[in-house]
Amino acid sequence: MNVPNNLVYTKTHEWIKIEGNNAKIGVTDFAQHEMTDIVHVEMPEIGTQINKGQVILTMESVKSAFDIYAPLSGKIVEINDYIVSNPEIINQSPYEKGYLFIIEISDKNEFDDLLSAKIYKSLI
Amino acid sequence: MEKLLNELSSKCNSAYKLNCDTETDIEIPENLKRKSDLGLPNISEIDLLRHFTNLSRKNYSLSTCFYPLGSCTMKHNPLINERIAKNRAFNLIHPYQPTETMQGILKIIYNLERDLCEISGMNCFSLQQAAGAHGEFTGLLVIAKYFKSIGQKRIHIIVPDSAHGTNSASAVMAGFNVIPLKSNPDGSISILKLKKILTPDVAGIMLTVPNTLGVFEKNILEISKIVHKNGSLLYYDGANLNAIMGIVKPGDMGFDVMHINLHKTFSAPHGGGGPGSGPVGVKTFLEPFLPVPRIKKKKSKFVLDYEKHNSIGRVKAFFGNFPIILKAYVYIKSLGAKGLKNASEQAVLNANYMLSKFKNKITVPAGDKCMHEFVLSLKSLLKNNIKTVDIAKRLLDYGYYSPTIYFPLIVEEAVMIEPTETESKKTLDLFINIFNNILFEEMSKKPHKIKEAPVNTPLKRLNEIEAARKPVLKW
Amino acid sequence: MDFTLQNKKDKHDMLKAIGIKNIKELFDLVIQKILKIKKINISGGKTEQELLNYFSNIALTNKVLTSFRGAGIYDHFIPSLVGEIIGRSEFWTSYTPYQAEASQGTLQAIFEYQSLICALTGMDTANASLYDGATAVTEAILLAIRVNKKNKILISSALHPEYIQTIKTYFENYSIKIIFLPISKKKGNIEKSIIDMFVDDDTIAVIIQSPNYFGVIEDMKTLSFATKLKNKKSMFIAVVNPISLAIFQSPSEYDADIAVGEGQSLGITMSVGGNTCGFMTVKKTLEWKMPGRIVGQSIDKNNQRGFVLTLQSREQHIKGGKATSNICTNSSLNALAGCVFLSGWGGDIEFKNLAKINVSKARYAFEKIKTLNGFKSKFHDNFFLMNS
Repeated sequence: MNVPNNLVYTKTHEWIKIEGNNAKIGVTDFAQHEMTDIVHVEMPEIGTQINKGQVILTMESVKSAFDIYAPLSGKIVEINDYIVSNPEIINQSPYEKGYLFIIEISDKNEFDDLLSAKIYKSLI
Repeated sequence: MEKLLNELSSKCNSAYKLNCDTETDIEIPENLKRKSDLGLPNISEIDLLRHFTNLSRKNYSLSTCFYPLGSCTMKHNPLINERIAKNRAFNLIHPYQPTETMQGILKIIYNLERDLCEISGMNCFSLQQAAGAHGEFTGLLVIAKYFKSIGQKRIHIIVPDSAHGTNSASAVMAGFNVIPLKSNPDGSISILKLKKILTPDVAGIMLTVPNTLGVFEKNILEISKIVHKNGSLLYYDGANLNAIMGIVKPGDMGFDVMHINLHKTFSAPHGGGGPGSGPVGVKTFLEPFLPVPRIKKKKSKFVLDYEKHNSIGRVKAFFGNFPIILKAYVYIKSLGAKGLKNASEQAVLNANYMLSKFKNKITVPAGDKCMHEFVLSLKSLLKNNIKTVDIAKRLLDYGYYSPTIYFPLIVEEAVMIEPTETESKKTLDLFINIFNNILFEEMSKKPHKIKEAPVNTPLKRLNEIEAARKPVLKW
Repeated sequence: MDFTLQNKKDKHDMLKAIGIKNIKELFDLVIQKILKIKKINISGGKTEQELLNYFSNIALTNKVLTSFRGAGIYDHFIPSLVGEIIGRSEFWTSYTPYQAEASQGTLQAIFEYQSLICALTGMDTANASLYDGATAVTEAILLAIRVNKKNKILISSALHPEYIQTIKTYFENYSIKIIFLPISKKKGNIEKSIIDMFVDDDTIAVIIQSPNYFGVIEDMKTLSFATKLKNKKSMFIAVVNPISLAIFQSPSEYDADIAVGEGQSLGITMSVGGNTCGFMTVKKTLEWKMPGRIVGQSIDKNNQRGFVLTLQSREQHIKGGKATSNICTNSSLNALAGCVFLSGWGGDIEFKNLAKINVSKARYAFEKIKTLNGFKSKFHDNFFLMNS
């Protein structure tokens, strides 16, 4: 399973790439593998305020639906539109083209709860 | 491959045509007129007949094969039901005809209500609901209205994790919050866990008895006592009523509200997915909340009663799916009390017989006895990268419709089999042999046969992933 | 009659295999004694012949009348082919087509039904049918609420009264305001000024039926555009009669977001209004928000075209309480009737003729009845009537 070292993670299998005040968010390789073939993603709207731990979107395979949780609090400033009509990109490229959205971080103290690649790897 | 209707279209004489003796050269105001073409196909009667007949032959159905689809009670749909339902004095009646001209219709609805009460132990039924889930929704609205009427704010409905998906979906639609209840491995209710979540704002609990693993809830009386003591109500999901007709009544178990799927237990056909009928039964104290109109008998006449001030209102236009109601009533008159009890007994016998042939070789999470259906877990058996869905597809090659798979959700690699009472021992024996053969011979020796299945169907394995990713939903 | 099949020897062998002596034991093992009943009191046990007589006698107490009642259920002509096809047991004795490879008949027919309903309405996507017209409207409102998180629904007061009652029932426990738009006393329709007056930023959707309950054709384009002009996020939900769409503007022509209706006119018997078929169509952007089953085209392993149930993760059997609806059973067999009905009218020509005949006869009856003693027209200016 691919777990890049330059990212941080959550127990619920989201990855986070911190870029200044923003964070790019997606699901891990492990998660996409477990969910099997993603066929649909219900994307949130730009501008949505999200709170850490809350269900922020749903990903659906043919026979299952999975909740994705907000790893940090903040405001969504960009969403990956490409996913909407090409959900398979999450399976193909979970860390690059298959990212979900970017948020403006509202509380950097929440970083303490995120996991390093090493710790995340030990969990899966 | 059968062509689509639009591909069959040609310049021929139309299949249907109407003449008219009034002026049809109608001037339609420009602003109301349709400007775009519809693009309907033009196909002759013979070509349409062939098209749809050919399509019908691509269906597995009860009239072509054994259909052991758990939870769906695919029993034989007696032909007399259909014949009687074709009577023009039943199907050419308009809902707004004066009630004096539809006494026969009202009598059947009224009488079926009485019979359903007798079978279920409820005090009255509404027959307006078009399906099981529609019944659940209605029953939950009745519960909501009841608590409103006594001034109690109860916002939660408890739904076990082994329940049908409709239960929680209906509860949410009715405005409730759903509290999931983790059930025991055999699908039964853990009284300890139930007590923990049974707070004063719980409106009710929805239970399927026997449960979706085919197990009768042994502690139902205690559960009922605990729930009622909390001031909450019990809802009975009637999907599995076929196990207990003439043996026990949900009303006696303590249930306050229930629905029945006439298209399961009472032999009305499924029609490829509907229409169905999901009557809702309640105890007397909930009658005021049932949908209107109610059908009442005044002297010897049947009348429609709209005078129910506490009623939740209507859940559908008119009186319910009458043809389905009629077919269920014909079935009951066909079987009578004795026949109904016998049907349940034979359904349970058939299921246990099949189970006895599997239980020593396949994991049965709910033990070695069952009611009308049982659930197997293939988890420990699967090998050579074969999944449960592959086994289901392989059964199609042998001419069987597949059992229900991956349900209930609490069983891994679940296969849910419901033979029903209208199948012979011979049919069951043949299926048992083939199922065992797939699992214990083919899976080790010819796994590719299972992976490639089905090969004897009109089409090979269909790609559901691309269908959902790039939806094509019309021609 | 009894439809069980085991003879004495079968039963004996089966009990032996299970390891018990009699069937009673199967129940004794699991059901508490106090719960078991002695017997139920239900008459029956009739033979096929007795049943036929019994029900023929009951049927005699119904009267088949020439019906001009209309109001959502119509006594239209039904071509012979419809009964022939829906009478095929391969269709009516099958279940929901979950196993696609064994259900291509039902699946293709429903795909064709969806395509034909889209052709009628001009909309992008149809589902595989709902219970009836009334519940199709309530499901359309539920859909609008999911998409447009505001708090006000505006409904034409000339919508079928039983649909209105159904809506009131469905939304009693919702904190959403439902406002009924008044119709013009003179013309029996909804005027544009009413839309201008009522639509605001809180409006989730406007629901208009045409022809409305009084048989008056609404100017849907004007109403829809006025709605969007006041609040471009507000949805326009059209409740339409499928046959009227042959000649009157289609929902796509007036930019409806959702179009729903009662499909009984399409080859389905009246049956006291209880054997119908609700249809629902939406714009492409709403297809993942739709309730109920949807059939999609796909290919099999050998690249042959085939059909499957699709977008299934919207549904209750996967999403439970988070599903788009609790609906599971639909009106598949009646949708099939609709499909057969819509395919044999020589393309648009005879189907348009069918619609014109309906308008013509309704108008003829209207003109004649108006002249009778004690009858007068309720609305002055209702230049168009259909099926009323």
